[in-house]
Amino acid sequence: MTDEKKISMVLAGQGNTGKSAIFNYLTGLHQHIGNWAGKTIEKCEGTLFYNGYTIDVLDLPGIYSLTTYSVEEVISREYIIHQQPDCVINIIDATNLERNLIFTIQLLELECPIILALNMIDLAKKKGITVDYRKLQDILNVPVIPTIASRGSGLTRVVDNVIALKSQKTEHRIHPYGKEIEDCIGQLSLLLKTIDFPYPVRWVAIKLLEKDKDVTRLTAEKSPEILEKVKQLCEKLEEIHGHDSSLVIADERSHLAYQITREIETITTNRKTSLNDKLDAITTHRFTGYLVMIVILGGMFLTVFTFGNWLSGEFDTLFRNWHSWWINTIGISFLTALGWAAIESVLALVQIALPYILPFYILLYLLEDWGYISRISFLMDNLMHKMGIHGKACISFIIGFGCNVPGCLSCRIMESKRERFITAVLVTLVPCSAVSVIVFGLVGKYVGLLWALGLYLFAMIIIFVVGRISSKLLLGEPVELIMPMPGYKTPQLKTILYQTWDALKEFIFIAAPIVVISGVVIQAINLAGWMPAISSFLSPVTVKWLGLPAITGILLIFGILRKELILVMLAAYLGTTSFSDVLSAQQMITLAVVSMFYIPCVATISVLWKEYGWKKALAICVLEILFAIILAGLVKRMLDFVF
Amino acid sequence: MIEKKYRTILTDVKDGHTGIIVSIAGGKWATKRLADLGLSPGTMITVIRRSLFSGPVQIEVCGSKWVIGRGLASKIMVELI
Repeated sequence: MTDEKKISMVLAGQGNTGKSAIFNYLTGLHQHIGNWAGKTIEKCEGTLFYNGYTIDVLDLPGIYSLTTYSVEEVISREYIIHQQPDCVINIIDATNLERNLIFTIQLLELECPIILALNMIDLAKKKGITVDYRKLQDILNVPVIPTIASRGSGLTRVVDNVIALKSQKTEHRIHPYGKEIEDCIGQLSLLLKTIDFPYPVRWVAIKLLEKDKDVTRLTAEKSPEILEKVKQLCEKLEEIHGHDSSLVIADERSHLAYQITREIETITTNRKTSLNDKLDAITTHRFTGYLVMIVILGGMFLTVFTFGNWLSGEFDTLFRNWHSWWINTIGISFLTALGWAAIESVLALVQIALPYILPFYILLYLLEDWGYISRISFLMDNLMHKMGIHGKACISFIIGFGCNVPGCLSCRIMESKRERFITAVLVTLVPCSAVSVIVFGLVGKYVGLLWALGLYLFAMIIIFVVGRISSKLLLGEPVELIMPMPGYKTPQLKTILYQTWDALKEFIFIAAPIVVISGVVIQAINLAGWMPAISSFLSPVTVKWLGLPAITGILLIFGILRKELILVMLAAYLGTTSFSDVLSAQQMITLAVVSMFYIPCVATISVLWKEYGWKKALAICVLEILFAIILAGLVKRMLDFVF
Repeated sequence: MIEKKYRTILTDVKDGHTGIIVSIAGGKWATKRLADLGLSPGTMITVIRRSLFSGPVQIEVCGSKWVIGRGLASKIMVELI
């Protein structure tokens, strides 16, 4: 293939602009998601075959600026500068033009070939916003194409423009700032021209005036004397404007965005806006907001568990005869038993993934695509602050109710390392759907539904207390919530399914292999006849302290694989599912409490390991085991007064 | 004194009221972050609503809606119009 037929393009834009929808539309199944080298940030790449061209598409993380606050921003900036893609598609939200243009201006400063995709024009129209995109095109001197990503309209034109742009050279039009700033930029540019920089000179000058850490460091290495001049100019700017030079530049950008917006945007308010506002007023109201949240989340969990219990039961009937069929066909030996252990692990995964996790994520992403999840963050921010984290962590918690694996992975949305870690620790304490199977299958069924719900409340209180303690222990300033509040929009089935698949994929690829391998290993230990020794070794804890039957020691070991195995194995050992014959109500509750907190399952441990290193992962495990044992023992003693 | 009468911190602005940002007393990180989003002195800002138990504040700036944590909002001084 000739080089002319190969094009690289990147998608850049702020969050909630429909960037992912465009990426999915363009690349479809030809995409693969990995990590940026050495980072835990997702790197989404894909390929598009179009008119004989092979176009590599890269989806940069959704960011709000190109300054170095976050890893995502650094990655995006470095990629555009060093990899020099043939084209950067800047996706901007037509309903939030001014905010998005601030980012566009920063992109233009990088002097790379840019095409603007003016997305969500249908929504803008509904809101009574008309954008004169031709005028925007003239002002910025870059192609501007109106698109509706959810329907794919306008995207072919974007790609056509990318191809056209490849063959022609574009001229970068400078968008001048205020006179005194331009003066400073000019003076610096003259000096910078003499040094060999991999960046555009004007951009370096601007960044130096903005006191960008990375660029300042680079300049210090190459030519420290320029920094003297920078200091002088910054002081001059600060004298004129009365505040920090970095803010002067940011203000200028906002002002420029404001001016452009005023020229191209006309707003005629119509009634449709008020519907969105009315809905917002109810869902974020200080009383009805919480009411709606409880109803929505409660309804969601109820739906998932009703559906899950039904489907799980169906699977039980379906898989019932498979074991005897396996023995009959292959025979009984050490190896076939191990083989069956592997199959059984896969079946256990299917039985948790399809009935519970899949519907859970579909509903969750339905709420997210609709725009509701940000409202929860808003409502819960205050409570989260008491745990040293902010409202966005709520999203990770809710995901964690489905499965802790994607829950822990989603902690990446938190800005600082400290908050990411606290959130991840707390997510491991969130009762996932596997734990819920135990709580409802044991306590809910035999002790009473209220007791089961009480355990949930208990878990929330524990999470809150642990959060409070860890926020006190882990030093550092809490980061304040700064979050855009997207308007409600009609959810798109395609987007929901894509996101669900992404979350499920993490569960399948990260959790499944570990569960199967550990399943086989534990079965081998079992076949070697070491289990009774282990259970008697653990009996001081299980029998004496927790008042449980000795066999629970083994169950708890199996439970590390997948928590619901505690219940499955219990039934297998007892040869019956009527647990009330062998366990008292008190024992059931104690067992449920241990199961909730005693250790994250292997899949979650592996994620913690990957994201935070083995030391922290190990520390979490050890602490949680001790914590759960002490807690459950205390609960048991308290229950002595009840039963 | 009369001039200052209409100046107040963002968390004390009543729901639905609009003001102009006078100053932001937050840390450098937060101030710059806000400036990059278009929130800086001189910007018009509308408080859509505040939440219960001194939680975050929902605001509108340049046609975009944002949620800002209470701590940060209390450092933003506005002049009511």
